[in-house]
Amino acid sequence: MDPTDRSDADTPTAVAEGDDVPDFRAARRHVLIETIRLAAKLRKEGASVPVSGSLAAVRALAAVGLGDRNRVEAALRATLVSEAGAIDAFDEAFPEFWHRLRTGLDAIATDHEGPTPGDDDEDEDEDGKRETDTDATPDDPELLADADAPEMDGDGGSGDVAVRIPTERRHVTGDRPTETGSEDARRYSAVGEGGHVDVEAARLTAEESAAVDRFVDVLATLPGRRRRASRAGEWIDARRALRASLETGGAAVDLPRRAATPNELRCCLLVDVSGSVLDTVDRSVLLAFAERLHTSAREARVFLFDTDLRDVTTQFDRAGGDPSSALRDAAVEWGGGTRIGRAFTTLRRDHPYAVDRRTVVVVVSDGLDVGDRDVLADGVTWLSNRAGALVWLNPLAVSPSFEPRSRGMATSEPYVDALFGFAEPADLAAAARRIERRGLDGPVGYEYDSRRGGDEP
Amino acid sequence: MSRDTSPFDAVSESDLESRFERADYVADDRTVTTVGLALQLGRPLLVEGPPGSGKTELGKVLAESFDTDLIRLQCYEGLTAENALYEWNYTKQLLAVQADEGAVADGDRRSVFDREYLLERPLLRALTVEGETPPVLLIDEIDRADEEFEAFLLELLSDFQVSIPEFGTVRADHPPVVILTSNRTRGLSDALKRRCLYLHVEPPDFEDEYEIVRRKVPELDAAVAAEVCAVVERLREEAFLKRPGVAETLDWARAVARLRTDDEPLSAEEMERTIGCLLKEVEDVESVDTELLEQLRAAAAAAEERLEA
Repeated sequence: MDPTDRSDADTPTAVAEGDDVPDFRAARRHVLIETIRLAAKLRKEGASVPVSGSLAAVRALAAVGLGDRNRVEAALRATLVSEAGAIDAFDEAFPEFWHRLRTGLDAIATDHEGPTPGDDDEDEDEDGKRETDTDATPDDPELLADADAPEMDGDGGSGDVAVRIPTERRHVTGDRPTETGSEDARRYSAVGEGGHVDVEAARLTAEESAAVDRFVDVLATLPGRRRRASRAGEWIDARRALRASLETGGAAVDLPRRAATPNELRCCLLVDVSGSVLDTVDRSVLLAFAERLHTSAREARVFLFDTDLRDVTTQFDRAGGDPSSALRDAAVEWGGGTRIGRAFTTLRRDHPYAVDRRTVVVVVSDGLDVGDRDVLADGVTWLSNRAGALVWLNPLAVSPSFEPRSRGMATSEPYVDALFGFAEPADLAAAARRIERRGLDGPVGYEYDSRRGGDEP
Repeated sequence: MSRDTSPFDAVSESDLESRFERADYVADDRTVTTVGLALQLGRPLLVEGPPGSGKTELGKVLAESFDTDLIRLQCYEGLTAENALYEWNYTKQLLAVQADEGAVADGDRRSVFDREYLLERPLLRALTVEGETPPVLLIDEIDRADEEFEAFLLELLSDFQVSIPEFGTVRADHPPVVILTSNRTRGLSDALKRRCLYLHVEPPDFEDEYEIVRRKVPELDAAVAAEVCAVVERLREEAFLKRPGVAETLDWARAVARLRTDDEPLSAEEMERTIGCLLKEVEDVESVDTELLEQLRAAAAAAEERLEA
């Protein structure tokens, strides 16, 4: 697009010279380019801006005009933002956009040789200094001072540099202040210190695999292929209809129906890999459990968290029965301190659609949280509200004397649909048996465990 | 397409604002601009936000203030095209064929695949409504419907037409104003989002909510109304499973208006007794303790000053 830009940019200046009519073509180009730049910036921030978004945006701008900041903001928000998660990015990017738009337009209005798209584009990737473009007017220093753009670009550039810190570790949030490349950066948490995934996943016996599969089956939320009789099903049960029609002399009066049974699971597995959990649970069993659950469920997102949340779904997808080497290849760390609330908040911010109303969230954590209690309460209420069900597997709850007294567990417990002890796959079979018998909404969980002298027969 | 005859195209923002005003719908500038744009550009409007923030009300108010039909399609899991778009009136067709009034195959005689035998469901009705002003089509809680249904909506939303295989394509003379609402219980497809303008509504701030309560619950004393809004605002800061929306505020305001006989400030005991209007989950109700009630009372006490400021 560069060559055309150049020639276009020249003509209006020539035409406009000599009279006071503002250069509309340049203004139009300026608006277009700034809008596209804003869309690009939003995409860079991770917002999903539809392809036609910028088209709709400039149409909207044409409808509302460029005079009123609030109206422009509303128009762009309506066209460029298509999900709540992108609103923050938009709010952040808009002031800069507005500033550039106005300064550019003012420059065009007062000075016919305003910022042309050509030089803007060229400087986009440069760090701070705008090189004098051949097309720009060298005898107009005020214009350059006016247009604040280079500085802004500089900011963006340095932000990029921060992300490109050459470490081997996998960054998820990338905003940790202590993280400047040294291998010890994770140690700022009070509990434990991180390390690479260092064990092989255990080979589950057939019985153990069956236990995990059974657990997956009882949590199932999605309709599968199997069908059973149902009053208001989607399909007509031809066989039963035919048989029933014999009673009425061959005329089918009632049409029995069939509906799909929910026997497929969409699941979001959140595994706490903080030091305290890794010390209580056999690490290789933990990996094997996650792997088996990921394979057995129709769709499973897997996240590991200690002080950060790491999406390791792709590693498990590619693992092919060997998650530990996939995790090692991706240089995923584990064994830091626990900030459950922060992990939930990150999940909400970065992967909002990993959890929806048909998703069962399975959290494996001991609930020994060192983070802020309010953050955890916020996170767990969101998760519980959003998800189809929230099941918590706590390694400590295998003990008959377990009480959810730790800060994290006490905060989360009221919002959890069921809390089970989990140290080995056999525990899952026990959990699955209870859910089968009483349903996930029924009295299930550690507090009904017979060993505690509860009401379990 | 004769889009230019629609009265929605020419609507100005101030006009829209005064229409909202007359319908007692308190909207911030962003909402007014976005709705105005959706009308002017003839694009569907996707409204997202927590339950009880006035999404559905927006559709109703639009229809009411432009004095046109509101066609509402409540989405649910398992909603199919037959429920939403059209269905053939099989019984009538069968009778027609038996009485030899129509034929199944094309020929000289009338086919039973004719408008006469078509049962219009909301979406088709929105396209075929007669009259100067196009109707407002409210597709409520689209996130509850399955992904398949969402995909099925795409043709309708982009071209305002539907294809009926036996019949042909039905196209709207006046494209309806389409409002989609979503509670974000699942992500919507990009294809759907791309066709819509997007409006995210949040629960209103203190001043707006006060305005809403004053309009909708006029029987409540002004000072108490301010207290009610301040308490709700404070409650929304708590981590609840279901944070109270505007609908809950109005319920509570009506409850308070009904129960009280004097103009005393709200007491903690009064709040505790009526908390069921605001919180609808047992975990949330249980987490209300004396400390929180005290904070709520303090917020209520400070309400009047904020209003004057």
